[in-house]
Amino acid sequence: MTTTMRQRIESGFVQFGQLIYRNHWKTLFLVLALVAALVSQLPRLTMDTSTEGFLHENDPTLLAYEKFREQFGRDELVLLTITAPDIFASEFLQKLRRLHYELRDKLPYLDDITSLINARNTRGAEGELIVEDLLENWPQDRAGLDAIRARAMANPTYRNMLLSEDGTITTIVIKTDAYTGGAQTEDVLAGFEEENLAVSPATSERIPLTDAQNSEVVHAARQISRAYEGENFKIHLAGSPVVSDVLKRAMQQNMKKFMLMALIAIAVILFVLFRRLSGVILPLLTVALSLLSTLGLMALLGIPFKLPTQILPSFLLAVGVGASVHLLAVFFRHLQESHKHSNGGREPSEMKAEAISYALGHSGLAIVMTSLTTAAGLASFAGAEVAPISDLGKIAAVGIMISLVFTLVLLPALLSITPLKAKTSATAQRGHERMDRLLRATADFSTTRPKLVLTVSALLLVLGLIGAMQARFSHKPFEWFPEDAPVRQATDFVNERMRGASSVEVVVDSGETNGFYDPQRMKGLEALNREVETIDRGELFVGKTLSLADILKEINKALNENRDEYYAIPDNRELIAQEFLLFENSGSDDLEDFVDSQFSKVRFTAKMPWVDGILYNDFMNDLEARFKRTLGGRVDVTVTGMAALLGRTMHATIISMSESYLWAVVIITGMMILLIGDVRIGLVSMIPNLTPIILTLGIMGWFGMPLDLFTMLIGSIAIGLAVDDTIHFMHNYRRYHHTTGDVQEAVRQTLLTTGRAMFVTTVVLSVGFFLYMFANLSNLVNFGLLTGFTIIMALLADFFLAPALMATLHKAHMISDDSDY
Amino acid sequence: MINYRTFSTAKHAREHEVKRIESLAPISVLSGFIFLVVVLFIASQASPAAAENLTAREIMQKVDDRDDGDNRSAEMTMTLIDKNGSKRIRKIRSFDKDKGEDKMRIMFFLAPADVKDTAFLTYDYDAYEKDDDQWLYLPALRKSKRIASSDKSGSFMGSDFNYADMTRKNLDAYDFSIVKEQEVRGHNTWIIEALPKTMEEKEETGYKKSLVFVRQDNFVVVRAVHWTLEGNRLKYQDVPGLEQIDGIWTITHMTMTTKKGKATLHRTELDFSNIQYNQALDEQMFTVRQLEKGL
Repeated sequence: MTTTMRQRIESGFVQFGQLIYRNHWKTLFLVLALVAALVSQLPRLTMDTSTEGFLHENDPTLLAYEKFREQFGRDELVLLTITAPDIFASEFLQKLRRLHYELRDKLPYLDDITSLINARNTRGAEGELIVEDLLENWPQDRAGLDAIRARAMANPTYRNMLLSEDGTITTIVIKTDAYTGGAQTEDVLAGFEEENLAVSPATSERIPLTDAQNSEVVHAARQISRAYEGENFKIHLAGSPVVSDVLKRAMQQNMKKFMLMALIAIAVILFVLFRRLSGVILPLLTVALSLLSTLGLMALLGIPFKLPTQILPSFLLAVGVGASVHLLAVFFRHLQESHKHSNGGREPSEMKAEAISYALGHSGLAIVMTSLTTAAGLASFAGAEVAPISDLGKIAAVGIMISLVFTLVLLPALLSITPLKAKTSATAQRGHERMDRLLRATADFSTTRPKLVLTVSALLLVLGLIGAMQARFSHKPFEWFPEDAPVRQATDFVNERMRGASSVEVVVDSGETNGFYDPQRMKGLEALNREVETIDRGELFVGKTLSLADILKEINKALNENRDEYYAIPDNRELIAQEFLLFENSGSDDLEDFVDSQFSKVRFTAKMPWVDGILYNDFMNDLEARFKRTLGGRVDVTVTGMAALLGRTMHATIISMSESYLWAVVIITGMMILLIGDVRIGLVSMIPNLTPIILTLGIMGWFGMPLDLFTMLIGSIAIGLAVDDTIHFMHNYRRYHHTTGDVQEAVRQTLLTTGRAMFVTTVVLSVGFFLYMFANLSNLVNFGLLTGFTIIMALLADFFLAPALMATLHKAHMISDDSDY
Repeated sequence: MINYRTFSTAKHAREHEVKRIESLAPISVLSGFIFLVVVLFIASQASPAAAENLTAREIMQKVDDRDDGDNRSAEMTMTLIDKNGSKRIRKIRSFDKDKGEDKMRIMFFLAPADVKDTAFLTYDYDAYEKDDDQWLYLPALRKSKRIASSDKSGSFMGSDFNYADMTRKNLDAYDFSIVKEQEVRGHNTWIIEALPKTMEEKEETGYKKSLVFVRQDNFVVVRAVHWTLEGNRLKYQDVPGLEQIDGIWTITHMTMTTKKGKATLHRTELDFSNIQYNQALDEQMFTVRQLEKGL
C-alpha cells in the first residue's frame, strides 16, 4: 500500500513531536529567548489613536487639512455651555467672569478663549466708533445690564455660538493649540539668537497636539468647571475634543476590562472542560506569548498601535486558543486511552511522549492548514488604502504565524516538562462519555437526515441574505455611549439648543494678494453664508456660518452709526481695504481666524452637529459645488475640517475593509482548494465558511445594527474561526473517510476527535465574547454579541451543514475518491 | 514717532519726589536742603560709573526721564511677516508734538494704494488714568470717527507691537528688579524684570511679565521679552538700529517677533527714515480737520 502525501506529512509531524520531546529544554530555551528578544522591544511600541493615523502620510485630504490647520489653527473647539435662568444678572456674569479667568489662566495648551466676558463688541454711535469687549465696562445697575443684554442679543455673530437664541444658554469657547511644543523654552533669552533666523519655514515638521495632551485640556476644563456647577449654573462640556477624549478612554478601559473578564471566563471554562490546570495554563500561556511577541515585532518594525489594531488581542486569543485546544484535546484523549489500555503496565513518561507525537501527527497538519489559510485571508488586507487596515492585515497574518509556531513547538515542549497523569476519576469519565454521546448523536443526525439539515440551512441562509441586504454602513461613535452618559447628553443638548457642536470648514483661495478686498467676492461669500445656513437634511443641518463677510458687515455697520441697512458688504474696494485696516488697528486679532495675512485665502465655518460618518462625503461635495457656483471658477475651494476628515476617513475605512473582505474570500477559496486538493470539495467547503458570516450580517440587518468601523472588525475573527472549524472538519473527515470508507463513520470519528476540540473552543470563546455585552458602549455590546454569535454559527455549520453536504455529495457520487488523501 | 521710553510716568515720579522732600521738612530745613542737593547731584550723574549703584526702579526712572525730542517728523516702513514668510509693507508719514507732558501724534498712510490717505490722530495723555484719544479718517468713507477704546493690548496697525508698547507706562504699577547684566551688540545692559502689580495693568498691557534690556551708557531700552497674558506667547522686541540724531538717541530700526515655543508666529520690522526733530509743527496740525484734509 502506498502512502499518500498527507500520511507522509503526518508521520513527519509524529517524528517532529518525538524530536521536541527529546529536546524539550533546548526547545523551550530557544522559544523563550525569541520571546524575550521580541518582548524587550515592547517599550518602543507606539500608540497612535489620532484620526490622521488612518490616512497615509501623503493622502491629499490629509495634506489639505494640514494646510488648513497650519493657517487657521485647530478647528475642533471645546464648548463649555452654561444654562441659567438669567444670564444677564450681575451675579451670574461675575461667576462667569471668574470661570473665564480661571480657565484662561489654568488650561494647558490654550490658544484662545472667548465668552460674553471678552466677546468683540464693535459698534457705532454718532461720530464715534466704539471698539471694546462686551463686558469691558462692567455694568453697575439693572439698566446697564439690560443694555448689555440688548447688545448681546442683537449681535448675529454671538447667536448659537456664545448665546442661544432664547438667551438662556451661554458658551465659553475654548480653542486649543494645534501643535505641541507650544510650551515656553527653558532659555527664553536664546529666542533672540534664533530670531535672527527670522520666520521658521519648517512649520510642517510640527507635531499636532497629541491625544494625551488633548485629554489634559479636557480634564482640566472639567476639573475647573466642577467647582462652578450649581442650580443656576448648569454646565455641559461638549465639542469634538471632549467626545474624542471620552470615547477613546472609554474604549480603552472597556477593552481592557472585558478582555480580562473574557480571559478569566475562558480559564474557568477550560478548567471545567479539561478538568486540569494544565488545560488552562498551557493554551493561555501560548496565546499570551504569541500576543506579546507579535506586539514586540510591531515595535521592532516601528508599526504603531492604532484604533483598528485593538482587535488584535481578541483575534489572536480566538485563533490561538482554538489551535492549542485542538492539539490538547487529542493529546489528553490519547493519554487517557493509552492509560486505560495499558492498565498501569507502561511508564507515564513514555505514554506522554507517545501522546505528544500522536497529537502532533493527528492535528499538526490541520493546524498548519488553518493557520496558513487564515493568515493568507488577512494578509489580503495588506493592500488596503486605509493605513491601519493594511497594518492590521499584515500584523494579524504575522501574529497567526507566530501563534502557529508556538502551538506546534512551545506547547509540546511545555507538555513535555509538565507532570501529567491520566484522570481516573469517575466524574471525568462520565463527563467524557456524555459529551461523546452528544457528538455521536450530532454526527448521526446530520448524516442520516441531510435533507432536513440542508433545507433548514438554506432557509436560514435566505433569511440571512435578506437581512444582509438591509445591513447599512453607518459610523456614529457618539451614539456608542448610553443616552444618559454626560458626554452624550451634552452633545445632544448642544445640537438641539445651540445648533451643533462641530463644524465643517471651507477654505477659499483667490490666488491673489488682497483678493478678498474685491466687493464681488465678498458679496459671494456673504451670499454663501446665507445659503449654507439654510441647509437642513434632517440629521445633518447647518446651524450657523461664520466668515470674513460677517466681520466686514459688522465693521461697516459700526462705521455707519450702527444703522441696520449698513450691515452689508460695501461696494467699494478701497473702503473694504480701509475697513479691514481699521479692524486690524482696533485691537482685535479675530481676523486671523478668518483670513490669511495676505487677504488671499479665507476660511468659512459651517457649524453643525456631529453626524453619521457616511453623510459627510455627499455634504462636502455639495458644499464645494455651491462655492464654485457662487464664487466662480477662478478660486480654489477646499472643504475640510477634523469632523469631516474623521467622518470621511471612517467611511473610507469601512469601504476599504469590505473590499479587503472580498479579497479574503477569494484568497481563502483558493487556499481551501489547494489544501484540500480538490476543486469541488474546496468550493463546497466555502459554504460552511461563509454561512456564519452571512447569518451574522443578516442579524445586523434585521436588528438594525450598524456596520461601523468596530463591527466591521468582527469579520476578521469570523473568518479566522469559520475557516479554522471548516478546515479541521474537512481535513479529519477526509482522513477518516480514507480509512473507513463510510460517511457516517467518518463524520462520527471526526466529531469525536476534532469535533470535541471545536466544541470546547466554541464554548470557551463564545462565552468570552458574550461577556462584552455587559459593556456600557453599544459598539462593544454589538461586538460581543455578534462575535459570540458568529463563533457558534461557525461550529453549527461544521457540525450539521458540512456533514450533511458531505453525505449528500457522496450519495450523488459527486466526490472523487479520497484514496489519495 | 515711537516712544522708545518704554516705561514712563514723568509727572507722577516728580510728584512722588516732591512728597518725599515735604515729609522730611519738619526734621530740619538744613538737612532737607542737604538732601535736595544730594538728590540733584545724583540725578545729574548719568555716567556709567555712578550707574553701577542704581536700583532697578532708578534705572527705569532714568529711561523715563531721557530726552526723546520734540516736534518730530519721520517716515516709517512697517513690514509685516506672517508665519509663512509672506510680507506686507506699509508706509506711514508721522508727526509728533509734545503739549505739556501730553503727546500728540498724527499718522498718514502713504502705501499700499488701497489705504492711502487713511489717517490716525492720537493724544497720549500723561495722566495714565486718562484713556488716550484717537480719531481715524477713512478716505473711502470721507468721514472721521473718534475711536473709543480703553484697551492698549490690541495690535498697533496689525503689527506685533501693541498700543502699550508704543505708549508710556505707569512705573508705580510695576515691581522692578535687576536680573543680571549682559552685553548686547557691544554695549553693557542691565536686564530688568518688570512685574505688573495689578491684574488691571496686565489686562491693559496684555503682558504678565517683561524683561527689559537697558543700555548702561545711555538708558535706551534695546531689547525686551514680553510674556503675553493670553495664548502663552513670547514677544521679542529688538532694536538693531539706534543712532544719535540732533543729540537725541533715536531708534531707526526695531523688530518685534511673536513666538509660541520655538515657532515664530509673526514678525514686524519697523524702519524709520527722514527723522527730523524740532520742526515747525503747529498745534493745528494735530486736529481732526487736518486728519480729514490729509498731508
